[in-house]
Amino acid sequence: MEASQARLESAASSAAGGRRLLGAPALFVYAGAALAAGLLLAFWYAPIDASSMGFSQKIFFYHVPIAWAALVAFSVAFVAGILYLRSSDLRYDRLGLVGVRLGLLFSLLVMGTGMIWGKAAWGAWWAWEPRLTTFLIACLLYAGYFVLRSMVDEEARRATYAAVFAIIAFVDVPITFFATRFLPEGLHPVVLRAGDAGMEGSMLLSLLVSVLGMTLLLAGLIRLEYAAERLRDEIADLKDRLGEVGR
Amino acid sequence: MSAAAQFSAILRKDLTRELRTREVLVSVFLFVMLSLVIFHYAFASEGNDLTFFTGGMLWVTFLFGALLGLNRSFAQEKDEGCLDGLLLCPVDRVTIFLAKTAANLLLLLAIQVVAVPVFTLFFVERSYLGDLPLLVLVVLLADLGICALGTLLATISMNSRARDLLLPVLFLPLIVPLLIAATSATTAVFAGDTGLGDLTVRLVFLAAFDAVFLVAAYGTYDFAIGE
Repeated sequence: MEASQARLESAASSAAGGRRLLGAPALFVYAGAALAAGLLLAFWYAPIDASSMGFSQKIFFYHVPIAWAALVAFSVAFVAGILYLRSSDLRYDRLGLVGVRLGLLFSLLVMGTGMIWGKAAWGAWWAWEPRLTTFLIACLLYAGYFVLRSMVDEEARRATYAAVFAIIAFVDVPITFFATRFLPEGLHPVVLRAGDAGMEGSMLLSLLVSVLGMTLLLAGLIRLEYAAERLRDEIADLKDRLGEVGR
Repeated sequence: MSAAAQFSAILRKDLTRELRTREVLVSVFLFVMLSLVIFHYAFASEGNDLTFFTGGMLWVTFLFGALLGLNRSFAQEKDEGCLDGLLLCPVDRVTIFLAKTAANLLLLLAIQVVAVPVFTLFFVERSYLGDLPLLVLVVLLADLGICALGTLLATISMNSRARDLLLPVLFLPLIVPLLIAATSATTAVFAGDTGLGDLTVRLVFLAAFDAVFLVAAYGTYDFAIGE
C-alpha cells in the first residue's frame, strides 16, 4: 500500500515536470512577430506581381510558408520514426504522433489556401495540378496513420507500426509529386526555378520572413502538443495506478 | 539451411497451400472478370472509344484484386498460428518478406496471364503484338511494386484489429504514384502511342519505385513482423 502511495507521488511530481514544458509562449511571441512582419512586408513592401496574377499573388506569402511548415512537420515525424525504431523510446513515438498531426493540419491549410488562390488565378476551386494533388494524396496517406494507430491496441506495437508507416509515407510523398508530373501540364506557377531566383529581392525577403514565422509557430505548436501528449500519457498512467491502489 | 533454401521452402509452402485450396486464385480471378463486365456496362455506351481508359481499367482491376489476395496471404498464417511457428524458426525476417512477396507476385501473374488476353479481347482494338515485350515489362515492374509494398503493409495490418479494413487505407494512397505510371504506360501500349521517350521515363520510374520500396521494406520488415 505504501509502495503504491510512493509511486503515485513520484508520478505526480513528474506530471509537474510535464507542465514546465508547456512554457512555450516565447516561441509563439516570436512567431507572431515574424508572421505579422511578414504580412506587413507582403502588403506594403513587396510589389504587386507584374504577371497576370496581380494582387491575388499576395496569398503566396501565406500559402508557401504553410506548405513549408507541413513538410517540416512530416520530416519531424520521419526522423522521430527512425529514432523510435532505433531506441524503442516512447518519447519519439509521441513526437512522431505530434509531427504527423500538425503536418496533416498544415496540409489541410495548404489545400485551403491553394484552392482560394486557384479560384482567383484559374477561376476554378480545384485543378488536378501536381502540387495540390500531392498534398491531397499526402493528406489521405497521413490520415491512414491515425486509422493505423487506432486499430493497434498494444502500446509498443502501435508505436513500432506508426514509426514504420511514418517512414514509408515520408518516402512516398516526393515520389507522388514526381509521378503527378506524368499528368498533363499543370497550372501551378513555377516560381522558384533552378538557376534564377524567379522573383524580386523584396518578394523573397517578405517570403523568408513569413517562412521563419511559420517555422517558429510550428516549433511552438510541436512543444505544446508534445507536452499535452505527455500529460495525457501520464494521466492514463496515474489512472492505472489509482486502480491498483483501489484494489 | 542457406537463405536461398529457406526462401524456396517458404515459397513452396505458400504455393502448395494455395494450389490445394485454390481459394485466392479462383476468387480473385472471378473478381477480375466481374470487374471487366462492370466496366463495360459502366463506360461503354454507344460507340464510346474506351482506348484511353484501358490502362486505368486494367490497373484498377488488378490493384483491387491484388488487395483481396494480399489480405488473405497473411490471414491464414495468423488464424492458424502458422506465423508463430515460422517466426520461431531461425529464419531471417527479410527472407520471409522476400518469399511472401514472391508468392504474391506469382499468384498475381498467374491471374494476369489469363486476364490480360481476355481484357484485350474485350476492350483493345489495336493489335499490339509487336509491343508485347513492353507490356510484359510494365506489368512485371508494376506487379513487383504492388506485391513488395503490399506484403509489407499486409504484415502490419495483419496484427491490427480490423485488418481487411486497414490494408486498403494504408496501401492505396502509397501506391498512387505507381498506379499513375503503370496506367499511362499501359494506355500508351494499348493505344499504340509508344514514342519511346515517354514510355522509357515511366519504365524507369516504375523500376525506381520498386527499388525504393524494396529497400524500405528491407530496412523495416524486422519491426513490421514483430517478435
